[in-house]
Amino acid sequence: MSIIALDAPGKNVLLMGNEAIARGALEAGVKVCAAYPGNPSSEIIGSLSQVASQRGIYVEWSVNEKVALEVAAAASLAGLRGLAAMKQNGLNVASDFLFNLNLTGTKGGLVVVVCDDPSALSSSNEEDSRAFARIGDLPLLEPSTFQEAKEMTKWAFELSEELGLPCLIRSVTRVSHARGNVELGELPSTERKAKFDTARPIIPVPVAWTHRVLHEKLEKCKGFFEKSPFNRYDGPESPELLIVASGACWMYAAEAVETLGLKGRVGIVKLATTWPLPEEFLVEHLKRSSTVLFVEEVDPFIEEAVKALAAQRGEDVGVKRFLGKATGTIPSVGEMTPDILMGALKSIMGIPYEPRPADYAKRAMEAAGEAPLRTLGFCAGCPHRATYWAIKKALTLDGRDGFVLGDIGCYSLGMGPAGFFQMKTLHAMGSGAGLANGFGQLGRFGLEQPVVAVCGDSTFYHAAVPALVNAAYNRANFTLILLDNSATAMTGFQPHPGTGRTAMGEEVPVVDMEGLCKALGVEVEVVDPFDIEETVKRLSRFLESERGVRVLISKQECALLRARRPERERFKIRVDHDLCLGKECGCNRLCTRVFKCPGLVWDPSSGKAQVDEAICTGCGVCASICPQSAILKEAATT
Amino acid sequence: MILEKDPWNIIITGVGGQGNVLVSQILGQMLVDKGYVVTIGETYGASQRGGSVMSHLRISHRAQFSPLIPEGLADLVVGLEPTEVLRVLAPYGNPSTIVLSNTRAIYPIDVISGDAKYPALEDVVEKIKGLSKKLWVLNATEIALGLGDPIYSNIVMLGALASLELLPIDEEGFARVVEILMPSNRLEKNLQAFRKGAQAVREFN
Amino acid sequence: MEENRGLKALETLVFDRDLCTMCGACAQMCPYLVPWKGRIVKLHDCDLPEGRCYEYCPRTRVQLDDLQEAVFGTTEVDPEMGVVRRVLATRAKDPEMRGKAQTAGSTSAIVALALEEGIVDGALLTRKGDELLSEGVVVRDPARVWECAGSSYVASPTLATLNRKRWSREEKLAVVGIPCQILALAKMRRSKFPNPTARPKVVLTVGLFCTWALNFGPFSRFIRERFKGESILGMDITPPPDRLLLVKTQQGTQALPLDDIRPFIRPTCAICWDMTSELADISIGTLEGRSGWNTLVVRSQLGEEILDRAVERGLLEVEEMRKEELAHLKEASLLKKRRAILALKERKEGGSGYLDPIPRWAHLVEVASEEVAR
Repeated sequence: MSIIALDAPGKNVLLMGNEAIARGALEAGVKVCAAYPGNPSSEIIGSLSQVASQRGIYVEWSVNEKVALEVAAAASLAGLRGLAAMKQNGLNVASDFLFNLNLTGTKGGLVVVVCDDPSALSSSNEEDSRAFARIGDLPLLEPSTFQEAKEMTKWAFELSEELGLPCLIRSVTRVSHARGNVELGELPSTERKAKFDTARPIIPVPVAWTHRVLHEKLEKCKGFFEKSPFNRYDGPESPELLIVASGACWMYAAEAVETLGLKGRVGIVKLATTWPLPEEFLVEHLKRSSTVLFVEEVDPFIEEAVKALAAQRGEDVGVKRFLGKATGTIPSVGEMTPDILMGALKSIMGIPYEPRPADYAKRAMEAAGEAPLRTLGFCAGCPHRATYWAIKKALTLDGRDGFVLGDIGCYSLGMGPAGFFQMKTLHAMGSGAGLANGFGQLGRFGLEQPVVAVCGDSTFYHAAVPALVNAAYNRANFTLILLDNSATAMTGFQPHPGTGRTAMGEEVPVVDMEGLCKALGVEVEVVDPFDIEETVKRLSRFLESERGVRVLISKQECALLRARRPERERFKIRVDHDLCLGKECGCNRLCTRVFKCPGLVWDPSSGKAQVDEAICTGCGVCASICPQSAILKEAATT
Repeated sequence: MILEKDPWNIIITGVGGQGNVLVSQILGQMLVDKGYVVTIGETYGASQRGGSVMSHLRISHRAQFSPLIPEGLADLVVGLEPTEVLRVLAPYGNPSTIVLSNTRAIYPIDVISGDAKYPALEDVVEKIKGLSKKLWVLNATEIALGLGDPIYSNIVMLGALASLELLPIDEEGFARVVEILMPSNRLEKNLQAFRKGAQAVREFN
Repeated sequence: MEENRGLKALETLVFDRDLCTMCGACAQMCPYLVPWKGRIVKLHDCDLPEGRCYEYCPRTRVQLDDLQEAVFGTTEVDPEMGVVRRVLATRAKDPEMRGKAQTAGSTSAIVALALEEGIVDGALLTRKGDELLSEGVVVRDPARVWECAGSSYVASPTLATLNRKRWSREEKLAVVGIPCQILALAKMRRSKFPNPTARPKVVLTVGLFCTWALNFGPFSRFIRERFKGESILGMDITPPPDRLLLVKTQQGTQALPLDDIRPFIRPTCAICWDMTSELADISIGTLEGRSGWNTLVVRSQLGEEILDRAVERGLLEVEEMRKEELAHLKEASLLKKRRAILALKERKEGGSGYLDPIPRWAHLVEVASEEVAR
């Protein structure tokens, strides 16, 4: 049961930004919610799925964001309210549909929430999704606080219905994953019946007409935005500096101004409806000061639009000194923080600010230097460690400088020491298999290196199936290793077509990965990565083949999934110190130095390896790689 | 309780898997129940896979603040792991910072595998003392192991924090929040952990 | 900064410079080096400052006097051919056995005798496998020694077998190898490096004559092209002036000019100075000019004893070497030494330490260069 469905209007609760968005959707009477997991957006549909039956709504983990948006759009076209949530990359995937939907229009309220991840705290790339609003001529809202996230989402459904357009809400990690006070509203009990109007065809052409209609809708939206209470101004009548801030940056701006004691000198325009711009509102406040500082992340989206507005309305607004990313006052990459902003304000306003004595800072930095780094690695018993170990061995024995193309998931750690540096490329979901299609055709141009792609099970259903079809059809020559750990692990174990369970907890037949590959007519084998020798053997054979794509399904359950079950340990593992060679020539700490499972501890005082029983999950892989057979494995007693 | 400083800034820090996020959520809700405006910012991503985790809690009477605490403005640091306290004090500490720290180390993979050294615990604690106004310590992990699972160490720390009376938090408020946020069959164990933390904490001089 | 004498150095000084002989001495002692399809493959990096792989390698520092002292207890050498007690013409007495062999069966006869008499518990031999790839195999039954007869010409990492097995007790072994392998065995015997696991005691070494060995990968591709689908039963090199490689398949025997094969000679053979396995107890090769007979060189006390026993038991026929045959042998051996010294100079190694100090015969080779040049 999630707190977001608490029926207690007026109660003050601590909600995560994503939970507030979910609550706002519930308060608006949303009926259909769909998403694909992606940080920092996963908790929106995640929390809605927990209350789905309770609230009588339909919630789905779709295989990708385009399908998710289509699912939510269907609800809208049938007169119900729908919500689709995604991270920045998801909007890229959904955009083809979105830029047709804007022209065909919607019926029931449709809200698309995109959660950007400035500084790529848990992403492969950095991207400012707000540009999609401009490209698609769609209304865009940016919440700055948690209460606002809820209120804005609720209002966005009404706005969407008024305009007949999907409404974009753009959040960022620091709002989505942060928590704050939210006063709960009423949960509705309205019922609508789903009905699709078959009288009128829904088609984006002829664009001469539909595109014009779209523009008219946007004009109408501007009218709403001019009156929106989400936009406001705080500060003196005529400040020395006017800050225009949106999203999380507004919180930073408010705090920075207060902390630096600049409340009397600096005014802040909180812009929440950021596309289309509420022009009159902005013109009114731009008049207040001759110096304007734009604070936003990541791109100068508002900055450029407002400067264009100021140029257009020069006579009303006057000549301005604009500061922001264009002037280098604010960094043009990465997330904004209160400290970066305070630094900029210090120099603009010419004020000193030292939060703490310089010598303390120096001592503290030195002391922190002693804290050893926590590099990321695979969990104890992770099948990816075993698969990458086998891949490394097979490629090294093959000797033709073969390489691994990959993409996103826990297995992305294959680029680093945890995965023995095997993965060589990382792009979008399914890109490993996609690139392999290309590399797999370069033999005719002299490429002699064997091509391998890795792809997780969730990623397979998300994006790699078309790539595999392409490979079968165009006869690309590569080996595809499907890392099937029965989980969408990195984002929090959301179910997918291979897990046999839906978002709403229903048990469903598994979409059989091996069967799917067979149906495509490709050579496919299944192997347990914990059996290293067998995996190396099969992979070595596949590497030598030149007959089109081969699929090796490396199938073993995620260690964290297994840990939730009572019979979590497969084997009891221990190191025989009489046999262990430790640092000596003949071993040189293969298990701790190279294999590096956190369950294996190097004890410098005894010069031997030992097993940390609290961490070891008993997978037994280490026992098979020890050159002395000094790691013993016995069947675990329950 | 009127805050001596508004906002009052707490950082709870530890290693992925220690329940850092959960305990900051519990503490946050306990304070919301007492009428405060609370903002919590988390820094995690792939932390489950062994990385450092930080929660920034801002407590205020009047407004929501940035989920990121500005440099040098931490008033209290609660450390689930001692070297993580040092890592946090570097950007956020100041001479008035108060620290409550667990004294049990969690070794990063490079130390476990023998490629890096973990500093002597006494040195770490001494360094923390030198960078804080007051330091309280306890071996929360040991207490948690006594209760059957190291995962309780975050609740032990919460109980210890409550006993310091820096904030208006108590066992009753804790129980109320736990009943909503966590599975019911664990309430008794969590209360035990909370109480033991309150008993075990001592000031480090 | 101390110089590395472990895998790191082995990589930079030997593998990266194409000097690996594929003797197998470095492989399978640890998880980092394994023999695989005609290569020594490094599976992971090892950061130990020193190790047995470097110690045993015949292409890291060779102190020849030191090794001769360790093996024979003397440094008095015949400059052309190393320590020599006797040089004879020999062949296996049994003609059926001779038929199974490459030349005359002396090697197999010697090894079978050593097993029968219990001088050794096992013999590490090289058995031809599929597709020209050979591997080391331990034979304990004297009757099965003949299964490993026949030259391969493709370098085989036989010594890896010595490293691989977990030997349960101190078995006594005989090893048959080519000069680089015999050199590695001498370094092993000399080495003070502790062995953390039990290893057999190599008590008898039988070295074969060798001028060069072929690179498995490129050579096998070449043969597969030329003899599509046929399996190779054996190979032989004819003596001068023909200089042909005879390849025997089920279809018959084909002769390839040796020049066609030269591109596949391992580059490391160019700097090898040892044609007659100078560090072995007994060295055996062909006898040019006398078809069906071996040249057999006895170098050690044990070698003497075994030879006498073999003759005594009627396993081996022995005849004197003619003067011109001996002169011819020394010439050939000296020629290889000369080529090696010249090749080393051309390589501009600069401090690899191989052949350090320069052996005493080096001056001989320079001085006699005009005499031996053809």
